[in-house]
Amino acid sequence: MHRFRFLICALALFIVADAHGQPNGQIQSSLVRITSTEVEPDYRAPWNSGSIGRGVGAGFVIDGQRILTNAHVVSNSRYLTVEREGDPNKYPATVLFVAHDCDLALLQVAAPNFWKGMKPLSFGGIPALESTVSAYGYPIGGERMSVTTGIVSRIDFNLYTHSAIDSHLAIQISAQINPGNSGGPVMQTGKVVGVAFQGYSGDIAQGVAYMIPTPVIRRFLKDIEDGHYDRYVDLGITYSKLQNPAQRHYLGLKDDDRGVLVGTVIDAGPCGKLLQTGDVLLSIDGYPIASDAFVEYEGERVQMPEVVERKFKGDTVKLDLLRNQQPMSVVVTLGSVWPYFMQGHSYDIRPRYVLYGGLLFQPMSLDLLEAYRISDLRVRHFFDFFVTEQIYLQHPEVIILTNILPDPTNTYLMPFRSSIVDEINGQKIGTLQDLARAFEQPADRFVVKMIGDGPPLVLDPKQVEGARERIKTRYNVFQEQNLDEQPPAKPAVAAQTHS
Amino acid sequence: MRTTALFLIALLAAFAPAEAKKAPVPVKALPPMAAQGAVQAKEVSLVRVNVTGQPFDYFRPWQKKAPFSKRALGAVLAHDRVLVTADLVANQNYVELERAESGEKTAANVVVVDYEANLALLEPSDKKFLNGLQPLDLALDTVVGDRLAAWQLEATGTLVVTEGIVTTIGVTRYPADVSDFLTYRLSIPMQYRDNSYTVPLVKNNKLAALLLRFDPRSQTLDAIPAPIIAHFLKDASGPKYQGFPSLGVSFFPTRDPELRSYAGETGKPGGVYVTSIEPGQPADKAGLQRGDIVTAVGDHVVDENGNYVDALYGKLEVSNLLTGKAYVGDTVALHIQRTGKPLTLNVKLEHRAEEDYVVPPYNIDDPPPYYVLGGLIFQELSRQYLKEWGANWQKDAPQDFVYLDKFQSELFPEGKRRVVILSQVLPANSTIGYDDFSYLVVKKVNGKVINSLGDLAEAVKTPVNGFHVIETADDPKQLELGASEVAAEADALQKNYGLPALQRLP
Repeated sequence: MHRFRFLICALALFIVADAHGQPNGQIQSSLVRITSTEVEPDYRAPWNSGSIGRGVGAGFVIDGQRILTNAHVVSNSRYLTVEREGDPNKYPATVLFVAHDCDLALLQVAAPNFWKGMKPLSFGGIPALESTVSAYGYPIGGERMSVTTGIVSRIDFNLYTHSAIDSHLAIQISAQINPGNSGGPVMQTGKVVGVAFQGYSGDIAQGVAYMIPTPVIRRFLKDIEDGHYDRYVDLGITYSKLQNPAQRHYLGLKDDDRGVLVGTVIDAGPCGKLLQTGDVLLSIDGYPIASDAFVEYEGERVQMPEVVERKFKGDTVKLDLLRNQQPMSVVVTLGSVWPYFMQGHSYDIRPRYVLYGGLLFQPMSLDLLEAYRISDLRVRHFFDFFVTEQIYLQHPEVIILTNILPDPTNTYLMPFRSSIVDEINGQKIGTLQDLARAFEQPADRFVVKMIGDGPPLVLDPKQVEGARERIKTRYNVFQEQNLDEQPPAKPAVAAQTHS
Repeated sequence: MRTTALFLIALLAAFAPAEAKKAPVPVKALPPMAAQGAVQAKEVSLVRVNVTGQPFDYFRPWQKKAPFSKRALGAVLAHDRVLVTADLVANQNYVELERAESGEKTAANVVVVDYEANLALLEPSDKKFLNGLQPLDLALDTVVGDRLAAWQLEATGTLVVTEGIVTTIGVTRYPADVSDFLTYRLSIPMQYRDNSYTVPLVKNNKLAALLLRFDPRSQTLDAIPAPIIAHFLKDASGPKYQGFPSLGVSFFPTRDPELRSYAGETGKPGGVYVTSIEPGQPADKAGLQRGDIVTAVGDHVVDENGNYVDALYGKLEVSNLLTGKAYVGDTVALHIQRTGKPLTLNVKLEHRAEEDYVVPPYNIDDPPPYYVLGGLIFQELSRQYLKEWGANWQKDAPQDFVYLDKFQSELFPEGKRRVVILSQVLPANSTIGYDDFSYLVVKKVNGKVINSLGDLAEAVKTPVNGFHVIETADDPKQLELGASEVAAEADALQKNYGLPALQRLP
């Protein structure tokens, strides 16, 4: 059974296909149907390869013999094929670039026959409100290409649910979009004005669908020009509006409706050493920041981060600010803010873990918490406040004892499940690597101190060694650890205390 | 009948919150259980207790919620006292006793209430009111396998008796979620009926227990046992009610040989590992340390699971020796092993008072303090405040507040303080732009550290250059108000929002 690709699966039975006249031209010669065989990682048995599934989405040809689609159409894929309208062949494809933070991916197809007669589509701008658009794809309800039309309903910042942490510009359209539409082009007067990507399921809201607009697409295509996708950049700060007259007066601001108040400055972010809590940001790259955090940018009133959204890793942004009522300027070299990544979904990586004495240690992440449905209050606090309380300074990775594979040597340790590792034999554990190294040290016993007031977890290395093969065999564990992915770099700034 | 239906719903909520949404089956029409035999109420020392409760509204701390009524039973004891559960009289405005057979009524006072043990003692304003009712003695000897009778009344005053069997006696957490106490668990085919908020359980015409909670699906009833009631009554007969003592310590079993060996234990199994010690509480004062192994309490040896052998019940959790069997002021010998060496610590037991918590667990009858500055409402974080989010408050209330409550002794080891929060903002001229701020922990006001609402009231007396500067733990991190603007707007704000006063300090 094929699964159709669409975020937040919608259930729609009636798809209105209006294909008369084809105002956007012969889309058939640009549209492709993508079938992805994916392997979903198994966080609860991370040594397993995971469950295998198959899904269908759409994509379209752009210049340079490339196919643009959604990242979620090809995430975790192990084998990809593409098909054209009117061609019985399935062509193997590979992923050139994938950008999970803006849900876009580029594919390539090696077979020269595939490209015969294929016409690349070109991009338009942001369509006007109430103007008509058409969406093309392979939604549920049939095998062949489907077309639906609707109007542009809203243009606004929105959460991209593929990563669950990134918000970018998104355009809401009233065209019916259903599972299988994902990655397909949304056209207006022969130009691509967006890529269909997410919507609400029918029981939450009817006819609310979103497409990725061309500024986001263009940014992605520009980012990869150097052969590498660098992610979106971010200032790594929180800020509040400055609409209260007394507060403005106190901060020495003029009565000119300008400025936002800096709350938290994330040390690991690009503003780490440049901004302080209590600074008042007055303008960004010369654009005045209004007291409600909007800026006038390219003729539109947009939220302040939009100025940074268009930039790339290594670009700079100039901030004019007031610190202790004194004007000053800083130039920030932009980059991404890694502590946020843990709070979003990750793809195309194998879960990292260490199994020691039947105890399974894993770094905290959104995927991990969802897999185990951990409701422990302390773990949830570490997750929610990982960035804002700067927990990452001491725990770049939060290592959780997620599970215990029962064995006579660990039978009394069950109460420690869902605990967070703080120290092993007096050494602070900040990463999974730290934990793996600590267990490699020669010792008579390992005293694992967990966060909080509980008792220590005590292990005898000889007992663990004696049980090792037994546990591996009994639970079919063929690999006891995966430290593959490099842990995030330690922040350059000195560790601060947090509580 | 509407009143009956409402009452039944209230009952369900009190007994088993999880069942609250199911439609109760009306039981009023059922005849008394003939097989058990009907006895006239005047012979059995029960009175009806009518309570009008009116809880404080923690979301609008200057007011109380609408009053509501509860009808229940009370057990008549010696010295013209009536025993009920503390739940029944929580937030009471007015308590009335009613003779079951005649319907005669009199007002009553709450003499003592203990929310931790869920017990309260009432006395009628008319001293002769209970004449003719034989006071109930306590049956202290209930053991597993005994049959106890639940006493309930029909609307007519007829006694309904349902028998159940005691299946387990152990130590469980009581509803106030502060301490663990001895509990009887019964299997009993009991039905809800009018006047069954407090259900006495009787053995040989003596009071053996009082209903604590009941799960109608499994027909399992937990009861406050006579030994705990006796402790409460003995304490209540003294000049000043002390409450149940606590040690202020958490234990962990020492079944794990690795943990035993780490703690320096080489001998035969037994004892519990001390994990956390509440600062300033009796165990801390006596010098108990994290990592000590408690091997005996007084003459009772403690096994590796934390049980001692009770003369009546057999194996029982050791906390019963410290709460149920001991009194405030008693000295208890703790025999411990510290890094393998034996040591004896004498602990003088105390009650842990509400003031000793950073987030008070059951400040039920105290009016919630608050302070309104401009349109900003400041309150002290408490469990009662969090419970305003309903039965699922631990999931639904702001999670950082739930975290502060749950880990309060870890987060505030120094104790002796409250957490002041900016709970909500009333839109006003001085709070323009602040409307969206809520549930913020306040750190400083006008440069002064805030550890109570009293601190805050003091700090606002000295504005900084004409501004009140409020610093919060989370964003926006700081808010300012114009001091003269706040003062000028105070009367209008009070009138506009109908606030009887702009402050109530603890």
